Amino acid sequence: MMKTRTGLMLIAPLALVLAGFFLVPVLMLLPTSFGEYLPGSGMTPGVWTLENYTRIVTDDYYLEVIWRTLGLGLFVTLACLVLGYPLAYLIARGPQSWRVPLILLVVFPMMLNLVVRSFGWIALLTNRGLVNNLLIDLGLISTPLKLMFNLTGLMIGLTHIYLPFMVLMLVAAIQNVPRDVESAAATLGSSRIHVFTSVTLPLSAPGILAGSILVFVLTISALVTPRMLGGPTYKVMATVIYDEYMQLLDWPSGSALSFTLTFMAIAVIWLSSRLTKRWAGMA
Amino acid sequence: MHPMPFLAAAILSVSTLAVAQADDFVIASYGGSFGEALKTCHVPAFEKATGATVSVKLGNSSQTAAALRATKGNPDFDVAFLDDAFAVQTGNEGLNERLDRAKLSHAGDLIPGAWGKNDSYVVTMVTATVLIYDPKVVKTPPTSWLDLFDPHYAGKNVIADISNAAGWQFLLALNKIKGGTLDNIDPGVAAIRPLAQGSTVLYTQADQVVTLFERGEVAIAAWYPNNAAAAVSRGLSLAVAYPKEGAVGILATMVIPKGAKKRELAYRFIEQVLSPEGQKCFSERAMIGPANIKVQLSDKVAQIVPYGETLQDAWFVDPEIVARQMPLWTRRWQREVAR
Repeated sequence: MMKTRTGLMLIAPLALVLAGFFLVPVLMLLPTSFGEYLPGSGMTPGVWTLENYTRIVTDDYYLEVIWRTLGLGLFVTLACLVLGYPLAYLIARGPQSWRVPLILLVVFPMMLNLVVRSFGWIALLTNRGLVNNLLIDLGLISTPLKLMFNLTGLMIGLTHIYLPFMVLMLVAAIQNVPRDVESAAATLGSSRIHVFTSVTLPLSAPGILAGSILVFVLTISALVTPRMLGGPTYKVMATVIYDEYMQLLDWPSGSALSFTLTFMAIAVIWLSSRLTKRWAGMA
Repeated sequence: MHPMPFLAAAILSVSTLAVAQADDFVIASYGGSFGEALKTCHVPAFEKATGATVSVKLGNSSQTAAALRATKGNPDFDVAFLDDAFAVQTGNEGLNERLDRAKLSHAGDLIPGAWGKNDSYVVTMVTATVLIYDPKVVKTPPTSWLDLFDPHYAGKNVIADISNAAGWQFLLALNKIKGGTLDNIDPGVAAIRPLAQGSTVLYTQADQVVTLFERGEVAIAAWYPNNAAAAVSRGLSLAVAYPKEGAVGILATMVIPKGAKKRELAYRFIEQVLSPEGQKCFSERAMIGPANIKVQLSDKVAQIVPYGETLQDAWFVDPEIVARQMPLWTRRWQREVAR
């Protein structure tokens, strides 16, 4: 076992960077989130209020945005999982010669800037975009489908962008499942499907969990893609926060929304890790 | 594939902060054709007269105002362009230097209302939200804001989101026509909702509209004459119409941030921007109207920018009220118009 002191030394560089450049600035926002903002004159010094938080839970617009953000996170995570698992399985268990090309294919989109990839989707999904024009030319539809500024557009864009994270996590997890255990199950008469559902899948649960948390947190905090594909009519938490800060200059309200988003993320991570541990029999 | 310059410009304006040398004179300015005209008309003349080296920090009004607040008292630019409501906001927060009119020789030649409360800003240019249409589709030139509702152009009209000046300005213009006031925008909200719901997109970046006209997706828009003129010079068929109810004026102001390190140079730069030669050059290049009333424009430019009669008819909404009400208007828009 490693000594505690050695452990601390190993994490010290990262911990210091995180503390200095992440934790301290975030904590500096905390007082702001209890501040009062008067449009036209600015933040009132010395006045503290809970209103920035109470407004979030009482206003049905904010609640709608919160549920939309959580729902989007859930759907994108599920989509990445469903699309990513078979691919990861193929990479981990398929022919050796396929592995490198497949991994390259998965990683390749990440070499393009996020903005460029979102642009690509705008070109495809807009009213006179490639997809709609093709469908109209084929005579399948007469008026363009609404593929942007709604859940569809964001789902497509975000799933595409975060799929590689899920796949890479899953590949590592599936590779870690001992093949002996699977063989043992097969020897004892399990069908291939049963081996998969009762051995491989539960044993890759840590990877599923890690990939899901990563994709979920990245999705609910994504700003660029929702701004480009969601527009002003389909807002999520990150875009609302951006607007409060940058358009309305209401920093207290923006800070309160930021903390709400952070706590939501932490709560979901905590909950899902408990559930998954129970499912995988690790608890 | 059509290029989509608007989002690239948007992202660039967020991320491109010109790397300034320590002794550069730094101007916070809008980008796009405004920034280009600034670099053509004002920067070289200023550099030549003062020997200073200029660097330009690009951003829209809200980004510049946010930067002013974040760097309170120790700004990273020496002079800034801001829309008037944002200049009011930063002025009320005590972030603007009080301007000394005696140091500006054109101080008395400006349009009425050019000086902010306590001289915390000075208006330097005038543009407006007007009607822009494609004359190939819209045969009779529109004359009223209500022409946007013409069923002929249903689904072929576009208005801005409230985060863009043209958005709240059209909302207020409509509100006024429908009998509302600045304290009561219910009539405007009720009237604009069907239009917003029916339009393909609520634009957030002015240049988005270029692509929409280019692809024939829209025929009429509440938009800016300067952006339309720039699109026309690239070959688009567009025309400018000043509605009979009056365009809604947009004032680009300049402020000197409190704590600016090169205050004297900042005055000299504002002097350059307000000079008749500078103003004329800028108006002709950017198609944005002058604030100096002594400037004589050519007919071609005068038909596009707010000038003479169109300037007199334009509605300049009290920026104090805009700064105070904007969050309320925005929240109502998010909930009742764009939802």
